[in-house]
Amino acid sequence: MTTIIQVRDLTKKYEEKIAVDHVSFDIAEGELFGFLGPNGAGKTTTIKMLTTLASVSEGTAMVAEHDVSKDPGAVRACIGVVPQQFIADDELKGIENVLLSAKLHHVSNEKARRRASELLQLVDLQSFAEKLVKTYSGGMKRRLQLAMGLIHEPLVLFLDEPSLGLDIQTRSKMWEYVRKLNTENGITVFMTTHYLEEADALCDRVAIVDSGVIKVSGPPDELKAKLGGDILSIRVTDGADLTNFLEGVQDVKEVMKLGLSSYRIKVPRVEKALPEIVDGVVERGLKISDISFTRPTLDQVFLQVTGRRVRNGEDESGATLEVPVLMEKVN
Amino acid sequence: MLSDTLALSGRSLRKWIRNPFSLIPIVIQSIVWLLLFGNSFNPGNSLPSSTGGSLGLLEHSFGGAPNYITYLTPGVIGMLALTGMTFLGVDFVMDRLNGYLDMLKTSPIPRSSIYFGGVLQNIVKAIVTSAITLVVALLIPNGLRLASSFGILDLLGIFVAIGILTAVFACLFTGISIAAKSTDSFFAVVNFLFFPVAFTSTALFPISFFPSWLEPIARANPISLASEAIRLLVVNGTLSVAQLSTFAEYIGGLCAYTIIFVVLGSLLARNALKAE
Repeated sequence: MTTIIQVRDLTKKYEEKIAVDHVSFDIAEGELFGFLGPNGAGKTTTIKMLTTLASVSEGTAMVAEHDVSKDPGAVRACIGVVPQQFIADDELKGIENVLLSAKLHHVSNEKARRRASELLQLVDLQSFAEKLVKTYSGGMKRRLQLAMGLIHEPLVLFLDEPSLGLDIQTRSKMWEYVRKLNTENGITVFMTTHYLEEADALCDRVAIVDSGVIKVSGPPDELKAKLGGDILSIRVTDGADLTNFLEGVQDVKEVMKLGLSSYRIKVPRVEKALPEIVDGVVERGLKISDISFTRPTLDQVFLQVTGRRVRNGEDESGATLEVPVLMEKVN
Repeated sequence: MLSDTLALSGRSLRKWIRNPFSLIPIVIQSIVWLLLFGNSFNPGNSLPSSTGGSLGLLEHSFGGAPNYITYLTPGVIGMLALTGMTFLGVDFVMDRLNGYLDMLKTSPIPRSSIYFGGVLQNIVKAIVTSAITLVVALLIPNGLRLASSFGILDLLGIFVAIGILTAVFACLFTGISIAAKSTDSFFAVVNFLFFPVAFTSTALFPISFFPSWLEPIARANPISLASEAIRLLVVNGTLSVAQLSTFAEYIGGLCAYTIIFVVLGSLLARNALKAE
């Protein structure tokens, strides 16, 4: 795999404050890379440096083999940027915004027309192409911006908080487009988000950044596995004690008996241990009356590495709110 | 760079044409200036009509204009070039605030095309504005009276003069606007400059009305240069060789201003557009 983004000791100092502190990472071509962290962690500043908007105080960043400080023009020609603000021009039609973006990226008129209609189809906006953007909803504007950022077939797409302020349905639609782009068109995506579930669902690899420093990076599954794996809860019909048997199952790390016939089992990958457990229960003439498992989330990884939760106050989804409770049980 | 400049000014112009509230104020402003100033402040009114020679006196003071509105119209066109700068400020400051400018900065266009796109669209707007003002001036009673030999070339001459005058202002204000962090500061600058610049020009009154110490300032004022150039065309129609060379002097003066302000303005813009 070719490296398309190479960052070494990238640092950004604003007077006294260090926004990004000696950050290093590589992104391979075709990878969907998530840059995660709370607001103010340095995500946007990093994206600004990589997209040539902010100067680099120390270190280097290469995008598609061009140095962002030495040859910003060449970097700009290779990248597509979808910022977190609504930048599409309200007073222009959807299609006009896309075509203007094509002009600014020096795409020939004919090619621009063809690609614009393809992209608007991809983001389900073809029937709104001739409408003024001020009539669009927030989700539609974001989708339009995705089309604007892709019109020139960039090698790398930078997505800054792609689902900020979107409702849950629109958000998952957005994920769908991003995944489609990445898998079908092989485009490398660098995205920032503070929705950890979003990163977990989308990204091949993530880096968790806090106070300008990368705390941990790797594929989401790997990071979660490091936390100690899954928790399997089973309840069986009354009968023999299963603790010894369960402790003997391969990979099982810990068995806790809760009440008369309920067990909590800590195991790295539940799907590997489950067949043996089920067989053992059946052999003993018992029946499983209830079974469930929980898998660690990126939120827990985040909590582990930063010592605090992501501050997503606007996130009303119950899933993340349950995390601290879950953690207490796990520990 | 040219195609980027055209694309960017095209964006602004498209929005401008589409928005009825961008053209209506121009018509109203033209009417207000021409009717209010043209009638209430008509210096001819204060001359005793019994002299019977008021028109002759007027023609003498007002460069041969047959009435005050004919004198005033070129001045109003010149002043509107300056008031037009108010809109420019809104454009760029809004683009900065909502992130549009960042989008432009991450696209592979020369930074200068952002600046020149701003200048160019204002020149086009000012030419359209001046055409509207001319029409308004022609329509109002006892309004603009063009010389009988006034032709299409003279109209083009008017557009050249107003185009370059706008370039003078737009080169400076586009720079200020790109560098400005809020619309407030921009409005303040335009308002602060409007009255001293407009009222030390010969937009409203001829040079003979000014106190002698103000005369050189009034003569060198870019609004004066453009107004006088346009007046030559409006009053005389086809210019004689001598008039043509006066016209060229005015245009030359405006070009000199443009060069100074394009340097100043593009430096401001370049500084504001470089990476944070």
